[in-house]
Amino acid sequence: MSAEHPGSAGAFTGSDERLLASLRAGDENTFRELFARHYPTMKRIARGYVSSDAVAEEVVQETWLAVVSGIERFQRRSALTTWIFSILINQARTHCARERRAMPFSSLAPSDADDPSVDPDRFQQDDEAWPGHWATPPRPWQKPERRLLSLESRERLKHALGQLPERQRLIVGLRDVEGLSAEEVCDRLALSQENQRVLLHRGRSRLRAVLEEYFDAAA
Amino acid sequence: MHHAGASHDGHSAGELSVADAEVTCRQFVELVTDYFEGTLDVRTSDQVEEHLVMCDWCATYLEQMQTTIVALGQLSDPTPPQPPDTVLAALRARRNAPP
Repeated sequence: MSAEHPGSAGAFTGSDERLLASLRAGDENTFRELFARHYPTMKRIARGYVSSDAVAEEVVQETWLAVVSGIERFQRRSALTTWIFSILINQARTHCARERRAMPFSSLAPSDADDPSVDPDRFQQDDEAWPGHWATPPRPWQKPERRLLSLESRERLKHALGQLPERQRLIVGLRDVEGLSAEEVCDRLALSQENQRVLLHRGRSRLRAVLEEYFDAAA
Repeated sequence: MHHAGASHDGHSAGELSVADAEVTCRQFVELVTDYFEGTLDVRTSDQVEEHLVMCDWCATYLEQMQTTIVALGQLSDPTPPQPPDTVLAALRARRNAPP
């Protein structure tokens, strides 16, 4: 199956042309920049498919080897980035199949859609005075500075991110940790905007709840 | 201090129907991501904003979500990753290849 998709979201551009020329010439500086720019994203995506960080790193390494060896044959039918990420996904899937794990992203699992963001008991029920309004409202967090978290709470958050269900962990990681846009994430993963949003919402909601537990305990 | 909305018609959590006059807190917490993404329709977005004006608790919840998102951004590794030697070697081989 060709890794290039005519008419895909990422089209080959003028700056891609320069990048392609640099890569074909084996320019190390350009390559290092490209590698560094995409590595965190690539590793996160690979990690969504395989069983460990070490295997994810292998997948990324194999992807770049394939990029370097395949760069001469690249036909500009898509953006370079699109091509690189489709190689990554193919490599990840191969490893995933080898490990005989379930393929992520083939569908949105029911559990991903059904969890409420907040324990329903925290809202007033239909037979109470103000149905749907907070019964146990969130309390403002005591932080040293507006929006700045302590090292301890950041560690807690990091741990909680690692504990999220795989797909939520990946989407939150790409969007909120690595700062990719919704379009970029959907393009890299061939995921619909809506599914991406559901996963983002579930992941963020869980993480907010973790921080809430932390701050409520600290108060 | 919680300021209750003008009318509470007892709608249960779930989709916002066209007849709904306002967003409840239970609905708000499910809409917050769509709100941040800018993917709510105009009517629902207006209702969310009206609710936020009136409900300090949901305003707090919104701020907590924002704090969570900003904190996540701080988790990214600032150290630039280096390509593995095998990849650099392959690249050098390209460089040294005859034109």
